[in-house]
Amino acid sequence: MDIFFDRLFSGLTAGSLYTLIALSLVVVFRSSKTINFAQGEFALFCCFIAWWLTTKGLPIIVALIPAMLVGFLLGVVTERTLIRPVRRRSETAVLIVGLGLFTGLNGLDGWIWGPANKQFPEMLPSGDSDYFLVGGARLHYDSIGIFLIMLLVVGLLSLLFNKTSLGLRMRAVATNAESASLSGVKVGTVLSMSWGISAAISALAGILLVPVLPPNELDLSSFFSILIFASAAALFGGLDSVKGAVVGGLGLGVAESMLNGYATFLGGSLQLTVALVIIVLVLVFKPTGLFGARRVERV
Amino acid sequence: MTGPGTHGPSIRPGGATRPETTALLEIRDLHAGYGAANVLQGIDLTVARGEVVVVLGANGAGKTTLMRAIAGLIPHTGEILVDGAGVGRSRPDLMLGRGIGLVPQGRGTLTDMTVRDNLRVGAVTRKDKAGVAEDIEKWCGVFPRLAKRREQVAGTLSGGEQQMLAIARAMMSRPRLLLCDEVSLGLAPIVVQELFGVLAGVNSDSGTALLLVEQNAELALEVAARVYLLEVGSVAATGPAEEFRTNDAIRRAYLGY
Repeated sequence: MDIFFDRLFSGLTAGSLYTLIALSLVVVFRSSKTINFAQGEFALFCCFIAWWLTTKGLPIIVALIPAMLVGFLLGVVTERTLIRPVRRRSETAVLIVGLGLFTGLNGLDGWIWGPANKQFPEMLPSGDSDYFLVGGARLHYDSIGIFLIMLLVVGLLSLLFNKTSLGLRMRAVATNAESASLSGVKVGTVLSMSWGISAAISALAGILLVPVLPPNELDLSSFFSILIFASAAALFGGLDSVKGAVVGGLGLGVAESMLNGYATFLGGSLQLTVALVIIVLVLVFKPTGLFGARRVERV
Repeated sequence: MTGPGTHGPSIRPGGATRPETTALLEIRDLHAGYGAANVLQGIDLTVARGEVVVVLGANGAGKTTLMRAIAGLIPHTGEILVDGAGVGRSRPDLMLGRGIGLVPQGRGTLTDMTVRDNLRVGAVTRKDKAGVAEDIEKWCGVFPRLAKRREQVAGTLSGGEQQMLAIARAMMSRPRLLLCDEVSLGLAPIVVQELFGVLAGVNSDSGTALLLVEQNAELALEVAARVYLLEVGSVAATGPAEEFRTNDAIRRAYLGY
């Protein structure tokens, strides 16, 4: 049983992080109808900012704030300068811009901060003795923290979408941007805010993620595989659904962790394949995902 | 250029404006289209405060393009004046800010959102929360079928209900001129009667001017005061609705009934 709990806790931790990145994908998808391939690189850039601030003596918990702000601005500026000019052409064009941004940002990070891995401080308590024993398995404080932060972000996003004027406008633009504009919604502002909020969530996710996922250091390739996991999670749950991102993210995290723990013949090297298989299966059998809008329409 | 004395901002010595001489909406030599295809070939059109004007014409005459250009959805050349002042860039939120709203062809239903949220979106430009809540109730009173479906996702409404929602939503911003593009399209005659009744009421109760694009010429001529007839992107004829209603020659030549 202790293996089960051990795997469960580790799966929920990874799953919470997938969820956070998946949420940022969902927020962008709802506005721009595309998966932003550069989402992981937004996170990476902000992690470098946070790391750089900690080398100047700031504690990581303080460096988190400016890093998220930089993320927000990065998202806003990206939408305004790179996405908006091509948005009207096609969704494919936006996708290509995302790919360009992916390689461009990664190159920029390497150019500014060098290719060597960086020791990255953990924000949450992660000492060897910082854990509870549950069913014989260790439940680390940082795992609990990551899970709670994920729940907090989900809660805040739900409030944003359902209780605020910005959220109302974001949902309107997600449903029908032209029609929303006829009611006076400034579509450009809504898109910029979506990209900003999304990138800020990615920054938070990145700073939580780097210390707990191997190699536990800041690396230029830190977010390559994470983006694939998060995309799989978001697709599985439905790319426009917050609930879907949570179910998809946690489900994928736990499934991957269980496979690692029990299906040892796989050698722990097939997780990415599992994620990609999920992507393909979802695209084939249920393109809208578990909770995606089915677009029930009568005419 | 015709229409003496109605052009330009009529600021008199002493700074007093004379709104009664300035049209609510005035369009001069309007050209608009999609990419290289110029659909509108120089349209002149005016709508006075509180007036009901109908634009008739065959498919492809440019009626919808005209509406989309006025609403700011597509770029134009030529002039669009509201209260005698030119509008800047084509942007729907700017036109709405000047008091001009559009009920688009196809209704523009926000299908994933509830009826109530659709109406709230219609009021995003307003700051008076209490007034917005009142107006939602008011429109649910005007269209009882919407009241029953207030919390229902709008995509599940029938076509007629979606058209009611589209009109109510556009009216939530309290426009001074409501553009309606093919309100009757694909709807049962009894629903169309109800919708036109409501539009006539909107005009007489709140003084909202209407610019209607209609296939259903007979019905449109009943509510409109003036008519513009479009043919391949230009105004082929214009005059009081009365003439179009009663003059058999005009009716046969242009309206085909």
